[in-house]
Amino acid sequence: MNTLEGIRPKIKALEAMPTVPAIVMPLTAMLQLPPEQVKMEKVVELASYDSTIAAQCLRMANSPLFGRRNTETVRSAIMALGLKRIQAILLGCCLNNIVPPDKWAMDAVTFWRHSMGCALVCSKMAKMIGYPDPEKAYLAGLLHDLGILVNTLTCTEDFRKCIQQASEEHIALHRVEAGHLGFTHSQSGKILAEQWRFSPEVIEVIEFHHEDGVPPDKQPLVSLVHLGDLLCRLRDLGYGYYEAMGVDLAGDAAWATLVEHYPTLAQMDLARFTMDIDAVMDEIVATVDAVFKPRPAAAAR
Amino acid sequence: MTAVGTGTEKATSPTAGDVKDPAYLKIRDLIYQTSGIYQSEEKLYLLASRCARRISALKLRTPAEYLQYLTSRRDDELRLLLNEITIGETYMFRSPAQLEALRNVILPQLITAKSALGFKRLRVWSAGCSTGEEPYTLAMFLLEESEKRLAGWTFDITATDLNDNSLATAKAGIYGEYALRSTSVLLREKYFKVHDENRLQVTDQLKSLIRFDRVNLNDDSKMLFLKGMDLIFCCNVLIYFDLASKRKVTQHFHSNLLPGGYLFLGHAESLYQVDDKLHLIHFPGTIGYWKPPIGHTDKGKP
Repeated sequence: MNTLEGIRPKIKALEAMPTVPAIVMPLTAMLQLPPEQVKMEKVVELASYDSTIAAQCLRMANSPLFGRRNTETVRSAIMALGLKRIQAILLGCCLNNIVPPDKWAMDAVTFWRHSMGCALVCSKMAKMIGYPDPEKAYLAGLLHDLGILVNTLTCTEDFRKCIQQASEEHIALHRVEAGHLGFTHSQSGKILAEQWRFSPEVIEVIEFHHEDGVPPDKQPLVSLVHLGDLLCRLRDLGYGYYEAMGVDLAGDAAWATLVEHYPTLAQMDLARFTMDIDAVMDEIVATVDAVFKPRPAAAAR
Repeated sequence: MTAVGTGTEKATSPTAGDVKDPAYLKIRDLIYQTSGIYQSEEKLYLLASRCARRISALKLRTPAEYLQYLTSRRDDELRLLLNEITIGETYMFRSPAQLEALRNVILPQLITAKSALGFKRLRVWSAGCSTGEEPYTLAMFLLEESEKRLAGWTFDITATDLNDNSLATAKAGIYGEYALRSTSVLLREKYFKVHDENRLQVTDQLKSLIRFDRVNLNDDSKMLFLKGMDLIFCCNVLIYFDLASKRKVTQHFHSNLLPGGYLFLGHAESLYQVDDKLHLIHFPGTIGYWKPPIGHTDKGKP
C-alpha cells in the first residue's frame, strides 16, 4: 500500500535517476530569475547540454503551434519565441525524458497534449483578463500535473490501475487516486516541485489546482490553472478518457476569485473562448505528436 | 448604382450581385417584423438566394417586384418564403457530445431529482425540429435508455417547427442515406422499416413518442403553453433571430424549463449577452444551458 509518506523516499531518490537531465535544477533556478538577469548565452548552453533535448526543443519551437518557423539553432529559436518560452519548452522536454518509454502509465502523448493544452489555455486566458505575466501562466499550466509523472515513476502499477478505474467509471483521476493510493498527484507533485525548488507560485498551483473551490487566500494563478485544467479536460485535451461532468465554470469559486482580481473576466464570452480552444486543438495535437510521440530513432542534431 | 430591373433587360434570377438591392433590406425588415427572424448584412446573400427561388417560382423579375407581391399577399407568401429561409440540412445523431452529456451527466441528475419526487416522466422539446432528425434521434436515445436506467419511465417529445414542409417531412419520417449516415445498423433495424430502395421509414412506435406541432417561437401565446420541459433542444434556430427576439425566446425557454432542466443549442451557438438567467454548463465536447433549481446555492455544481 502506498502512502504519501511511503513514497517520499522514492521521490527523494528520483534525483539520482540517470534519466533526470542534469539541466533540470539549473533550469528551474533560472526560471525564477527576473527576466533581465537571464542571459541568453546561459540558456543556449543549457539547451545544448543534451542533444536529444536540444533536438526536441527545436522541434517544439518549429511546430505549427508556435508559428511553424524554421529555426535551426537554439539561439534563433530564442529570438523567435523569447527566453521565457524557450525555458518552459526546455523544462517540458527534460520532464518527458525522465520517464523511460516503457514506464508511462498514462501515455506520453496524452499527458503532453493535456499539459501543453493547459499551458496554452492559461496563457491565452491570462492575456485576455490582463494577468501581468502570461509566460508564468504558461509555465504553471505546463507543470501543474507534475505529480502524474511522480506517480508514474514511484508507484507505476497502482497508478495504472487508478487511470484504468477512472476511465472505466468516467470520473476524475484525482478522486480515484485519493481512494486508491491515499494521496493525489497534486500532493505527490508538490513534494517533487519543492525538492526541485520550483517557484512558490508554481508549487501552489501544483498542490491546489484540483481543489474544489480553490482557497481564496491562494494566488490568482491557482484559480487560473484550475479553470484552464478543467477547460482542457472538457475539450478533449484531458486524460484520454471521458470524464462525466457538467461544470458551471462561471459559478466555480476559482472563477469568483479570479474575477475579484481581474474584473474583465466577468465580461468574457466563455462559450466563444471554449470554441477557440477547439480551433487550436489540431495544432496542439500536431505539436505534441511531432515532439513527444515515441520515434523509432530519435534524430538528434 | 447599378440599375436593377429596368424592364428592358432580360430577367435573370438574382445572383450574389443583387444582394445590394435595397429591396432585400425591406424584405428583411418585413420578415423581422412578422417572424422575428433577422438576417444581418453578411447573411443577406442567404436571404437573396431564398427569395430567388420564390421569385422564379412566381415568374417575377426583380426583388422589388417580389417585395410588392409579398406586401400585398403578406401571410400566404410570407409563410412560403419562411419555408425557404428555414430549410436546414441535418442528420440523425449529429451531436454525439450532446447525447453523451445526456447519458452520462444529465439523465443521472434528472433521475435522482425526479425519482425523489416520485415523478418518472421526462418531457423533451425539439424547438425548431426541421425535418425531424433531431426528435427521432432523441426518441431513439430515450428508448435505448429505457432498456437501462430509464426503465419504467415515460417520456413525451414535442417537436415544433415554423416550416410546414419540414413538419410534413418530419411526420412522414422517411429518410435516405444522408440523414441516416450516423445511425448504426442496430438502430436502423430496431427503429426503421424499409420504405423503398433508397429510404427507410421510422416505425410507428418511434412516431408515437413525438407530437409534432407548428410553432413560431415568437408567438408568445403558443410559447406559454409549452410548460414543464426537462430538456429543450433548439439547434441553429436562434442564429437567425435578432437580439431582441433571442432574448424574448430564451426568456420563454427559461420559463418553459422545469428547475434543473437544460437547454441545448447548435454546436456553434452561444447565449452570450442574450441571457444571464440560464447557467452556461460545460460538458465534455459540448455546452448547454441550465436552469438551476429553486434555492440553488451549490456554486459550480449542477
